[in-house]
Amino acid sequence: MPVEPLPAAAGLGGSVQVRHVDAGSCNGCEIELGQAFSPVYDAERHGVRLVASPRHADVLTVTGPVTVNMAGPLRKTYEAMPEPRLVVAVGDCARDCGMFAGGYGVHGPVATVVPVDLQVPGCPPEPAAIVSALRRLSGR
Amino acid sequence: MNRVAVALCAALALAGLGASAGLVLPARWRSAAVGAATVAAGVAGAVAGAAAVSGTGWQVRVAGLLPLAGVTLAVDALAGWFLLLVGGVAAVVGVYTVGYTGRTGRGPAARGALALLPLFVAAMLLVPVAGSVSTFLLAWELMAVTSLLLVLSEHRHSPAVRTAGLWYAAMTQAGFVVILLGLAWLAAAVGGESFAAVRAGAAELSPLVSSGVFLLCMAGFASKAGAVPLHPWLPRAHAEAPSHVSALMSAAMVKLGVYGIVRVAFDLLGGGPRWWWLLLGAVGAVSALYGILQAAVATDLKRLLAFSTSENIGLILLGLAAAGLLAAAGQLAGAGAALAAAFLHTANHAGFKALLFCGAGSVLHATGTRDLDQLGGLSRRMPVTTGLVTVGALGAAALPPGNGFVSEWLLLQALLHQVPAGGTVLTIAAPVAVAVVALTAGVGVATFVKALGTGFLARPRSAAAAAAIESPPTMLAGMGLAAAVCTGLAVVPTVAAPALDRIATGLRVESAPLHGSGIDLRLAGIASSISPLWIAVGVVGIAVGFAAVARAAGRPRRRARAWDCGDGPLTARMEYTATSFAEPLQRVFEDVLAPEQDVDVTHSAESAYLVRAVEYRRRLPDRVESRLYRPVIVAADAVGRAACRLATGSVHRYLAYMLTALVAVLVAGVLR
Ligand code: SF4
Repeated sequence: MPVEPLPAAAGLGGSVQVRHVDAGSCNGCEIELGQAFSPVYDAERHGVRLVASPRHADVLTVTGPVTVNMAGPLRKTYEAMPEPRLVVAVGDCARDCGMFAGGYGVHGPVATVVPVDLQVPGCPPEPAAIVSALRRLSGR
Repeated sequence: MNRVAVALCAALALAGLGASAGLVLPARWRSAAVGAATVAAGVAGAVAGAAAVSGTGWQVRVAGLLPLAGVTLAVDALAGWFLLLVGGVAAVVGVYTVGYTGRTGRGPAARGALALLPLFVAAMLLVPVAGSVSTFLLAWELMAVTSLLLVLSEHRHSPAVRTAGLWYAAMTQAGFVVILLGLAWLAAAVGGESFAAVRAGAAELSPLVSSGVFLLCMAGFASKAGAVPLHPWLPRAHAEAPSHVSALMSAAMVKLGVYGIVRVAFDLLGGGPRWWWLLLGAVGAVSALYGILQAAVATDLKRLLAFSTSENIGLILLGLAAAGLLAAAGQLAGAGAALAAAFLHTANHAGFKALLFCGAGSVLHATGTRDLDQLGGLSRRMPVTTGLVTVGALGAAALPPGNGFVSEWLLLQALLHQVPAGGTVLTIAAPVAVAVVALTAGVGVATFVKALGTGFLARPRSAAAAAAIESPPTMLAGMGLAAAVCTGLAVVPTVAAPALDRIATGLRVESAPLHGSGIDLRLAGIASSISPLWIAVGVVGIAVGFAAVARAAGRPRRRARAWDCGDGPLTARMEYTATSFAEPLQRVFEDVLAPEQDVDVTHSAESAYLVRAVEYRRRLPDRVESRLYRPVIVAADAVGRAACRLATGSVHRYLAYMLTALVAVLVAGVLR
């Protein structure tokens, strides 16, 4: 099934290195993200790979409402990435704080800390949805 | 008139001139004058060496210069090689000395310390040209004494210098005594003391005499060369001596230990039974492995370089042993290749070690410390020095296109191409030696990555390192010359081929191993060749090509700053230190190195679960020293103390001793 490529990701040339940051999620999204890279969904066959350092990454995936404690580290992670860099907000919490909106430890949605290029709705989003979002970045 | 004679006399005269200049000139001019004289003497020595390796021989006997025996000088290709080496190193180090010692007039720039430098060079030039046992011993002792005094240049500075001096004095004199015994025995057995007479008479020696002479001389020469287990003076003296002296000692003086072994074992004794070479090979293998392991875990930059000297000497001895063993088995092609490898490695090691010790001196000069854990960040502050040290480190790591690579490749070729017909011993020894060389080369890479990476790159880990400034131009020029020589040896080692052919022929290893080498280094009798020039061109070409293609493709450069795990700001405490970089190696080789580690955890007063401070201490004692030398030192100490009781200060007692001695002599005389 072909996907519609994101114009901003054209410079990545079909090879996307992803760094993930859990900014305060309930870990539901992480389980689905893990599935997206499992043998069943296998995001890697689309040219997407998880890496261990923001220095190596083109794309940052962020889950959860950004908590007060994670706002700083999230920003630093983003700043440590080489340009061009893209951010994918994964899950409803990342988009608008979801069920945690208004919590005393919540800073705000991801977009209030770093610029977001792509959103994946769902609580949690299905692995297939995550894979197809990532495919829009790799274009494959 | 003979070119060798002229150049050699010029070198000695210039050295004398330099020494007197050092004594009489005021502090302001002293370093420059002595440096210039050392350079001139070195160049003259190198010219003499170059003439000698290209086939000009020279012999002279000056009867009146020494009582009884007179002085005999004889220059052949073998001597020429070492003349060239000592002269080259002296020329490079002479330039460096001018800036390094400076105009302070104190420490290494003091009158005596500077005056001794050209004398030391002259003594080193005399050792290979000595043509008789007595002349050789004289030159050897001159070299030992001048180097000892130079090691002690900074004795006011720290007690460690005095300890180093004591170790060096004791070991070098012990070495001299065994060499003296060996050569005197040899001269007595053949009934003549000139090398020509010894050479002629060596064939009739009984195996007992020749083996005894070999063992005695090998012990003495190996200790001067810094081979394990006779090395403990070396890391101390090299570390504590002023850096220009360390460079001279490590690059030139220890090579004369190698010269001694070659001269006595190959030339004077004309080769020997298999077990000689197996013993020499074992010493070489142990030196190579132990040396590089100690270097890999050392945190003192100069100690690291000193142990790497032991390692390289080990490789050279391994090459010599292989040459002897292969020659004994009748495989002359392999023997020639191994010999060429050993000799080429003496030159390569001289080049990169002179450069590296000078580099270490520059670091010490700029920061006041040689502790790699306290350094870092020098590449920004001392860019030229860092670049030059990189050339040296590449050579020392034996990676192409560095110069160490060529000789190690040659050594491996010689070992790999031995034919099974050589007998069981050779069939077993050669693969073991190959494994030793491979392991040594591997750990060597880690060692020099550590030295360069933790010493020069990243951020400074101390205020002293942060305040470092680039060295004065003369120091850079000296190192630049050494780097140029290293590069030359790395790219066109084939220029040495005719000299190596002549040496191999002169040593009766009946083949010209590198005969007909043009741009390629071709091994006669072994179907293998290498072209260092094309390798260098290839490596540089690939790097430049990649950069050009990337630029042409129009991909923008992506910059990412160093990642601090979100815990920033990034501090120098997050870097690899020399200790932490070597920790995995230390762990792997724990049984050999036996590190002493202490971890002290201080708990908070409120709860035993809360840690307030953790302190980690590590010491890596030289195991050979503590196991082999300590007991001897303790015993000698005990004997000395016991002997004190003989001399109580009572005159009556001394008179009784004299009476007893007299009676004993009379009784012995009567009974005879
Ligand atoms: S979107 Fe849902 S699954 Fe994901 S972090 Fe928020 S609550 Fe958890």
